[in-house]
This record gives sequence, C-alpha cells and structure tokens, in this order.
Amino acid sequence: MSKINTCVSLYSLQDEYLNKRMSLEDIFKFLAENSVEGIEIIPDQMMHNAPHPSEQTLADWDRLVSTYKMKPVIADVFLNTNLYKNRELTKKECVDLLIEEIKLANRLGIKLIRLVSMVPAYVIEPLLPYAEKYNVTLALEIHAGLSFDVKKTQDFIKEMKRLNSPYIGLVIDTGIFCNRLPRVMADYCKHLGTNQEVIDYINHIFEQGKDPRKVYLEHNGFPTELKQLLKSDADYFFAHMADGYENEHFSVLNEYFPYIKHFHFKLFEMTEKGEEYSIDYKGILQYLHDKGYDGYVSTEYEGNRWVLPGHPMQEKEQVLAHQKLIRNVIKELEGQEVY
Amino acid sequence: MFDNNVFLENTCKNIVEAGNVTGFELKTNITYYRGIPLSMVNDIGVEVDGEKIAREHIVCSVDEVAWFTLDEMETVTSYKWEYGEPLTVRVLKDGGLSNGSHEIALDVVVRTAYIPVPLAGRKVRTVEIA
Repeated sequence: MSKINTCVSLYSLQDEYLNKRMSLEDIFKFLAENSVEGIEIIPDQMMHNAPHPSEQTLADWDRLVSTYKMKPVIADVFLNTNLYKNRELTKKECVDLLIEEIKLANRLGIKLIRLVSMVPAYVIEPLLPYAEKYNVTLALEIHAGLSFDVKKTQDFIKEMKRLNSPYIGLVIDTGIFCNRLPRVMADYCKHLGTNQEVIDYINHIFEQGKDPRKVYLEHNGFPTELKQLLKSDADYFFAHMADGYENEHFSVLNEYFPYIKHFHFKLFEMTEKGEEYSIDYKGILQYLHDKGYDGYVSTEYEGNRWVLPGHPMQEKEQVLAHQKLIRNVIKELEGQEVY
Repeated sequence: MFDNNVFLENTCKNIVEAGNVTGFELKTNITYYRGIPLSMVNDIGVEVDGEKIAREHIVCSVDEVAWFTLDEMETVTSYKWEYGEPLTVRVLKDGGLSNGSHEIALDVVVRTAYIPVPLAGRKVRTVEIA
C-alpha cells in the first residue's frame, strides 16, 4: 500500500521572492490557503545567513511553521566545494560544513536533507553519527545531466549500499523522465537566437526515445550532423543546455527503490490540458503506487528561468495547476482525498 | 537564464563624498538561485560606453559598510551575498560618470556548488546622469 504525500518546493516561487513580490510569510500563507501542507526549502535561498541564521530568523521560522500548520519536509543543501578560487575544499572542510547543515535542519524541524548532486561519497561515513544523533537523513539528488551514469553519483551509490543505513538515501528529480524537451526552454533559446533547425534536431532525439545526453556520450561530444548546424553562441548554449533533460524509463529506479526518500516532481510547463509538457505524471505516480512508495513528492517549478523578457511570471499559477494534477492522480490511485 | 537578475533598474548613480564625485555605483541581484559567500563571486565586470573598467577600480559590498576589491573578495567567506539582496558594485574613478547618457554594462559571474562552468549574467542599461 503506497502513501504518497504532496508538498511544494519554495524553489518554485523564487522569482516572487527575489523581486520581493512575496516574503517568506506571503509564500507560507499562499500555500496554506491552497491546501498545501508541506514544504521543501533551500535554506541558502530564503533564510539569511544559513546555516547560521540569527535567533530572530529562527523565531520567525517557528512562528510561520506553527501559524500556517506547515510541515517542513526537506531542506535542500549544497556543498561549496569550490568556496575558494584556488583550491577544492578538503574532506574535513566538507564534513564540517555539512555537520552545520544537519544541525540547522534539526533546528528547523526537518528530518531529511537533499544533498546536491556531485557531493563526494567520502563525506557519508563521517557524517553518519551526526545524522543519527540529530535524526536527519541524508539523500543525494539524482538530477538529469548528473544522473546514474556520472562517476560521483555512482561512487555515492556504492558507498550508500556499503553503509546500508536508514539515514542515507536518494532524492530523485523527475527531470530524468522527460519524453519531450521542455518547450519553454526551446522558446527561450530561440528568443536568444538559436536556430530552429538545431531545436528540431534535439526534438527529434527525444522522439526517438533517446536524450541528448546519451547521444552526446555515444558520439564523444556533439554528433557531426549537429555540429554542422551549430553556427552561433545561442546554438551552442542550447545544445549544451539540452543535455540537462534525460529520457529514462521509470524502471531505471527499480534497483534503487528501497533507498529513495523523496521526489522532486519537476515542472517546466503546465499545459492548458492540465498536464506537464515533458513529463508523464500519471505514469510516474502509477509506477510509485505500484511500487508502494511511502513518502513525499514535491512540486519543483523550473519554468521560471525560461520566461521570456516582457512575459508574465506565473509561478503561483503553475504550482497550483501542478498540485491539482498530482493530487487528482493520487486520489484516483488511492481512492481517497489527498492533499 | 539569470540575466534578468543583473543590474537593477534605477540604481546607477554617481558617488558624492565631501562634495566630490569619487566614482559611481550600481546594484545587482545574484546570477544564481541561492546565496553564496563572497569568495564564490568569480568576477564582476563593468563597461562604460564600450570601455572596460580596470578590475582594481571595482569594489563591492553586501552591507555598504565593508567594501572589498575583487582580489580581496576571493577569501571573503563570512559575508554572504543573499538571494534577493543586492550587491552594491562601486567603480572608484574621480569624476564618476559625466553628465549625459551612458551605456553601462554589468557582468556578474559566480561559481556554483555543482555546475562545472561558472554562471554568468550580463545586462546593459542606458543610464542618464543629470
């Protein structure tokens, strides 16, 4: 029996926050008014001086969580391995930084941390005692472009399996399940000057059930046919960015399923039909239901970065439309009201 | 992608200190979706009417109290450039911008935690100095 819960990543409302149209409290209020009961937060985005926020910031957080009855589900944590220009951080420096993130998550009432892709595997074992002490699980994000075929991801998974602790796992970003290139991304690049022929070439890759990343890997770079089409910086920008969208089958998760702690339900564009343009959410939720997934799925709107200049930012509308879609599908699958 | 974050409108003005124009300043949001220590700012570039300002004439601040040159910023880890809070960029140049219209370009380049290539943003604005 699955128990799929929904939440919203505050990443989805980043432009509202950046341009001060919405404060953190406005965001909590908006989500609560729309029956959202759980959130995902990037402390570095919406909490000043994270991982060492002031007492006042923490008091404000406590007030928001209790006033709006919001469950803080997961904190998205980064590791600044390139903090300095002239060297990489040492293992000790990496571990020390992440200990502070674990303590912050615990203080915020959060039991799960998303470690950004490319976090080195060697941090896990030294962090385990802290994860246990503070009751915070650490889960590496599997993100398109930095997914299962990447060495650092493979190293992390190997170490995760070796340690086999309930405090170590994975977060899956559904950008690995794009069956079409996000149209908003292609439109944005076209506005920058990308040639339609280049866009058509990439779209064709998806139509064949492949993705640009796989094709580039097979060809050791851009295929000759694509190279011949690339004429401007905008063409190259588009061709490079296109490898951040993968076209995997859901079954790629089978092997890792016991370790999956959370999903980023990536959203590029809700269409007028109430579907996501690139990702089959009915299919994914059916798969999760069949697998007995017990955890959260989090709306992560990223179409905001592809809004054309002069066009309205519709983060709130997009989030609500996506929440409606996934709640309805879950309701159908579980035969009950789900928020 | 993050170009829209760069160079906030109506923030470019001359700096007047004790009756003298000692340079000009402008403000910008970060070309990223989260805050980072100043050491992760890879570069800031300013051009005035097509001419590049020398790196050593640029200083930046997140609180307008402590100012750092770009070289100094490389080791500044305890001041964070927060998401949603502008960085003030000053160009120290006697006389600042002359009266009239100028094309000012700002480039902001930051290092991110996991993307191998730094994230850059650029914005050019026409600024009127009266």
